[in-house]
Amino acid sequence: MSSIMNNPDTSLWDKQRNKIISKKGGWFVGDGVYCHGYDMMNELVGKVSYMQVVMLNVTGQLPERRVADWFEAVHICLSWPDSRIWCNHIGALGGTMRASVVASTVAGVLATDSRSYGIKPLKEGVAFIQAAVIALKDGLSVEEIVVNECEKHGGKPYIMGYARPIAKGDERVPAMELVAKNLGFSVGEHLKLAYEIDRTLLAQFNEGMNINGYMSAFLSDLNFTSEEVYRICATLVASGVSACYVDMRDRLAETFLPLKCDDIDFQGKPHRKL
Amino acid sequence: MTDKGINEDAVEVRKHQKVTSRNDVFADKITTRIWEEVPSQSNPYIASDNRCHGYDLIELMQQKTYVDMFYLLFRGNLPSLDERELLEQLMIGLINPGPRHPATRAAMNAGVGKSDPQNILPISLTIMGGEYLGAGAVEGAMRFMRKHRKENPVKTADVMLTELVEQRPKEGDWHIAPGFGSHFGGVDLMPSKLAAVLAKLPASGLMLDWGMAFSSALNKEEMGWLTVGVAAAVFADLGFHPRYGAGLFQLLCAPGLLAHGMEQANKPITAMPFVSDKSYVIDYE
Repeated sequence: MSSIMNNPDTSLWDKQRNKIISKKGGWFVGDGVYCHGYDMMNELVGKVSYMQVVMLNVTGQLPERRVADWFEAVHICLSWPDSRIWCNHIGALGGTMRASVVASTVAGVLATDSRSYGIKPLKEGVAFIQAAVIALKDGLSVEEIVVNECEKHGGKPYIMGYARPIAKGDERVPAMELVAKNLGFSVGEHLKLAYEIDRTLLAQFNEGMNINGYMSAFLSDLNFTSEEVYRICATLVASGVSACYVDMRDRLAETFLPLKCDDIDFQGKPHRKL
Repeated sequence: MTDKGINEDAVEVRKHQKVTSRNDVFADKITTRIWEEVPSQSNPYIASDNRCHGYDLIELMQQKTYVDMFYLLFRGNLPSLDERELLEQLMIGLINPGPRHPATRAAMNAGVGKSDPQNILPISLTIMGGEYLGAGAVEGAMRFMRKHRKENPVKTADVMLTELVEQRPKEGDWHIAPGFGSHFGGVDLMPSKLAAVLAKLPASGLMLDWGMAFSSALNKEEMGWLTVGVAAAVFADLGFHPRYGAGLFQLLCAPGLLAHGMEQANKPITAMPFVSDKSYVIDYE
């Protein structure tokens, strides 16, 4: 191990000590509260929607109201009060053992950093459709894009945003299509391609686009990056988790799916002596 | 249809697939190989005996150490004396990330902010899950060392230093490989000291040896072991799967996080610095 330090340059850290340089905003006592150049109390409160401010904080830009309204609608679409859903289940368990609503809701939200469901797959969905549009412009056909993507998964239609787990079809897609129509959005190049992929997959595999695929394409048409979508949707499932928490918090403790000892199937080593 | 196969009318003619269940077959019961709870005769919800991988919990309490039990829980068998020694020394080495670590500061912030005490550990462990010098970096470090373990570590370091030189950031630290790099511009001395001690223990294996040589070869560029790399090497030498790395690292660091959080919990909110308005600068550029 070398113990020689050749006067390393620590200036990067030295100049940040005891100092915060914010690109976001801040509170100055007696002066005001600022958010991306807006005076929050005078320019935002009561004048824009909560979701607009959520998006402002993430992207640095105050979006059109209808874009924020679309995001709010998708938050409703993607969080239901069904305690069988994995993140909601965690909220219900918090309720039954009397954790706080804050802790339980946050725990449920944390669970959606998942490889298989929740918010994180949105990043992959956005990345896929944006890459697919580039591939289309480079001359690949829709069928070739589908085949190439399926080949990564042993020929199966495991394309992020398509072929939903648990069920076939997705009732959330027509619901959000109606929201988009009512808000005056048109179909852009990403969503057009997503519909074509949907058509191809339906014909070949009887699998279609799910809400991830719809969201990813719709938001790509609005020029959102995958990281922006992930950040805006960070607490997407919060309300459903809270609902399932409250359902169990307001009942007798430990009554949510109680387990007898024999309800656990022990498959390990038999009793042995030390 | 366009020449790219896009049907311009697709939106209008599209029919939504009817929503139907896939009828996936879910398990009837939760299964486990870790823990057996023997039901009491009078109440099927009450266990009369608990067994870990077949051993009675009461006997384990009476005859084994906490480190034995910890190893048994995850690995399914009791450790040898050498394995216990290696794990125990790592557990001591990692027990406190220290008051400057962001995860500890999150714990202290929660403490001085009078957050519920039961939330201090989850708060700080969540931050400790980070991919930068946190639990989120351990799996990658384990996989990196496993992948390169048959290579000459000095040669590997030299090749990486040459081939990856363009990736060296113009400012800030460079983690040339998962678990290895600079910290605050130089070699982090404490992880190097920990690794040197651990590598001399009988249960130390290929990963620690490989990492020692790789780290030394990086020293000339002011890089070396990072704490997450040391933890990863020991976990790998003890036979843990890489996916266990993140959680194990969080577990081993947890005591220090809680201790520092609770130390602040009874102090006034003014007991920790609050950056003055003068030093708080808004710069939207």
